[in-house]
Amino acid sequence: MLENNQSYGNIFLNGILNENPIFRLALSMCPAVGISTNMMNGLLMGIAVIFVQVCSSLTISLVKDFIHPRIRIPTYTLTIATWVTVTDLVLAAFFPVAYKSLGIFVRLIVVFCFITMRLDVFARKNSVFPSLIDALGMGFGFLLGMMAIGGVRELMGMGTLFGVDVLGFRPLLFFVLPCSGFFVVGFMMAIFNYTEIVYNRRKKARSFA
Amino acid sequence: MKEIVKITIGLTLTCLIAAGIMGGVFIITAKAKKHNEYINFKENMLALLGYDHQKPAPESLQLCTVYRYLIHQPEQTSLGYMLPVKASDDSDDIQYQLVRVSTEGKFIDAFDLAIDSAQATDMGDRAKAMSAVLPEDVNNIVFGDQFIVATNNNKRLAFLLPGKSPGFKTHINFMMALNAEYGVIGLQVLEHQEDPGLGAEIEQEYFKNQFTGKDVERLKTLKVIKEPLPTEQLRFLERSKWQPDQYSEKEIDALQKKYQPKDICAITGATISTVAVVNGVKNVVTKFVYRVKILENIISQQNISVAF
Repeated sequence: MLENNQSYGNIFLNGILNENPIFRLALSMCPAVGISTNMMNGLLMGIAVIFVQVCSSLTISLVKDFIHPRIRIPTYTLTIATWVTVTDLVLAAFFPVAYKSLGIFVRLIVVFCFITMRLDVFARKNSVFPSLIDALGMGFGFLLGMMAIGGVRELMGMGTLFGVDVLGFRPLLFFVLPCSGFFVVGFMMAIFNYTEIVYNRRKKARSFA
Repeated sequence: MKEIVKITIGLTLTCLIAAGIMGGVFIITAKAKKHNEYINFKENMLALLGYDHQKPAPESLQLCTVYRYLIHQPEQTSLGYMLPVKASDDSDDIQYQLVRVSTEGKFIDAFDLAIDSAQATDMGDRAKAMSAVLPEDVNNIVFGDQFIVATNNNKRLAFLLPGKSPGFKTHINFMMALNAEYGVIGLQVLEHQEDPGLGAEIEQEYFKNQFTGKDVERLKTLKVIKEPLPTEQLRFLERSKWQPDQYSEKEIDALQKKYQPKDICAITGATISTVAVVNGVKNVVTKFVYRVKILENIISQQNISVAF
C-alpha cells in the first residue's frame, strides 16, 4: 500500500522535518501566530491537534472506499468538525484547567488547513496504520513548531518559560504582541531553510569525496 | 440525476452519524462540565473570603444566593427577589420565598416557593417554581442577576457579587466581595480573553488588590490615573510575595488607610482593560448597594426571617 516504499520511520519524520506544517508547508499560520504567546498554550494546542489529526486520519482511511470523490472536502470538514467538538466537550468536562487557557481556540482547529490537506493527500490513499503514523508525525511537527515559537515569544516577552520565571525581568514586551508572531515565524522558517541548504551541501560534498 | 441523489443521501447520512456522535459525547460530558463550573465558582468565592487549601472554610460557613428577576406584566414591570428563608426559627433548613418589589422600591407581595436548595441552582427549575405562584397575567420572567451572602454562625461575613464588563476583546467576568458596610474586601477575575502580558495583567495581585479597602463613596468617584505604581505600594499590594510577618496587623491597617483615597493606576499598555474593570466594579457596586438597601428595608418591615 505504501507509495515509494517509504518506511514507517520516514513517514513519521517527514511530518516533523521535510513537511513540517508550520515551517515548511507554511500552513495553519493563523494559529501559529495567534495562540503561540506562551509555551503552555503551544503544548496544549499541539496535543489537541494531534488527537484531532489522528482520529480524523483513522476515520477517513477506514471509510475511504465509501466517500464519493465529488464531496470529499465536505466530508473531511465534517469529520474534523465532529472530532473537534468531541475534543472541546471532553476538555471542558474533564480538563477544566486546560480548557480555561485554550477556550475558544480549540474550536479553531476545524479550519486548520494542514489537517484537511493530510486527509486528502495521505489518509485517502493509504491504509489505516500508515495513516496513523503520518498523522502522528504531522501532529508532532505542529506541536514542536508551536512550542518553539511559543518558547521564544514567552522567554523574550515575559521572561518566563511554562509560567516559571527564568530571566527575572522582561526583555522585550513587543514579543507577546500579535505582530511579533510573524517575525518569530519568519526567522524560524529562515533558520529551517538555511539548515537544510547547509545539510544538502555537505551531503553533496561527501558524495563527491 | 442518479449521481445527485447518491451524493445527497451520502451527505445526509454522514451528517446524521456526526450529529449522533456529537450528541452522545455531549450527553456524557454535560454533567461533569456543569459540576466543574460550579466547583470553579465556589473555589473563587472561598478564595475571596480568604479560605484556601491550607486554611479550609469552617463547616458553619453558609452561602445563600439571592436571585433577582424582572417580572413583566402588561401594565407594569416589577422586581422579584428570590430569598432563602429559614423554615422555622430553630432549624437550619432553607426554604425559598419570592418577594415582589415595584420599580419605585415599594413592597407588593410575597409567595412561598415549592423548591429545594438543590433545585434552586437550576435556572429552569426556578422559573417553573416562580410561574406556578405568580398571577396569571405575568407574561415574562427575566433573570437579572444574583448575589451571594456568606454567613458564619449567623454573622454576615461578606456579600459576593458576580459581575461582567465589556473588556478590550470580550467580556471580563469578575467577582467582588463586599463587607457588611459595603467596602470592598477583594476582587477576583474569573474569565477574560485579554492579551497576555498586557490586558491579562488584570489577573495579577498588584492590580486586583488596589481595590481593597475602597468604600462606596470612594468607588463613585474612582478614576484611572496614568501613573506608575510607587515601589512601596507595589510591595504592599503583592501579598503572595510577602515574607511571613513582614507587616503587622497595625501596619496593614495604616497602609490600607493611606492608599484608600488613591485612584487606580493603569496597567502599562492596557488602559482600556483597566478602565473596563474599574467601570464594571463601580457599576456593579453602586447598583447593588442601591438595591440591597431597598431590600433590607422591606425585609425588616415585612418581618421576613431570611437565612442570612
